[in-house]
Amino acid sequence: MASRAMNLAQRQVKPILSLDQDEARKRAINLYRAWNKQLPFIVRHFDIPKSVEQCRQILREEFTKHENLTDVRVIDMLIIKGQMELQESVNNWKQKGHIMSYFKETIEPKPKDFLSKFLQGVD
Amino acid sequence: MALIFRQVIRNLRSPLVRNQGTARYISTGQSCLSKTEKPETRPTVRKINLIQKGQLTEFGQYVAECLPKYIQKVQIAAGDELELLVAPDGIIPVLEFLKDHHNAQFACLTDITAMDVPSRDYRFELIYNLLSLRYKTRIRVKTYTDELTPIESSCSVYKGSNWYEREIWDMFGVFFANHPDLRRILTDYGFQGHPLRKDFPLSGYVEVRYDDEQKRVVIEPLELAQEFRKFDLSAPWEQFPNFRKESTTEEVKINKQ
Repeated sequence: MASRAMNLAQRQVKPILSLDQDEARKRAINLYRAWNKQLPFIVRHFDIPKSVEQCRQILREEFTKHENLTDVRVIDMLIIKGQMELQESVNNWKQKGHIMSYFKETIEPKPKDFLSKFLQGVD
Repeated sequence: MALIFRQVIRNLRSPLVRNQGTARYISTGQSCLSKTEKPETRPTVRKINLIQKGQLTEFGQYVAECLPKYIQKVQIAAGDELELLVAPDGIIPVLEFLKDHHNAQFACLTDITAMDVPSRDYRFELIYNLLSLRYKTRIRVKTYTDELTPIESSCSVYKGSNWYEREIWDMFGVFFANHPDLRRILTDYGFQGHPLRKDFPLSGYVEVRYDDEQKRVVIEPLELAQEFRKFDLSAPWEQFPNFRKESTTEEVKINKQ
């Protein structure tokens, strides 16, 4: 009876790519490796003023940003989008500005403490 | 001889005068007539062809009989537009049936589009508009999905759905499984979010400008205060109040097991 109630409570969902957490993890690692492999070529083709090491760090940050995700479908969706971005970068569909936007150089950090908020005129 | 041949051809052309003879067809036509009672005489209101409506009603019932597993509801919208509401798993069989069945031959895919209603359980509604050049009729197939539920790509049935599905992926973020080339089509590389979703802010998530120091285009996050928007999905102004009083869609009765 209890198991039936459990079954009712759980919604059956259609998987996007991966059936379980392990498969999603493998896919994420594969995507990371693919990006890592392409980084030197991306740096050369787009002629960005960054070293491969700096790019690796950014890549790592982009992946660790989502490290707490547990929903397999959400992970799959991010992997699909990451794959598409990789395709855009490798085929040179993107431009230099798009690649450089990962580094967020021009973005000023948001004011956190009271005084800087006050000085910037933010509530 | 020629006369008989012509009559046979005419019978073949009309998808709805099929095998059951004319008795059922006439009865439906009459019921439509008696329901609305007086014919439309106002000059500004579009007149509805009741014979065609009767034919469409019957065709909808026929399709529902043929595919009882997938078709959830059949309705006539705006007087004479047939709509089939379909389970998401059954979109490919239904489209295949409509394309290949001899009495349908909806070989032309006019459009695929989507609609976002955040309050629904499955928030996106996918709408396939089909055209049968053979029988000079149109049909609309609707199904539903949400952000994370993949839906089977219809590229295997209609080659033309490739770009339409890319557009829906780009604008709504609905993932199409087994699509041959799913990638963005309208937005810029590096664009964040899906613009036609109702929760997408009017200003977008990022701002793009040319930076003189960097000598390149930079992308920066953008936050503008925006009031809470509550969506009233009816039209914001009333074009034809007399015409719009009652709901324009009516359900067609189908046999459900």
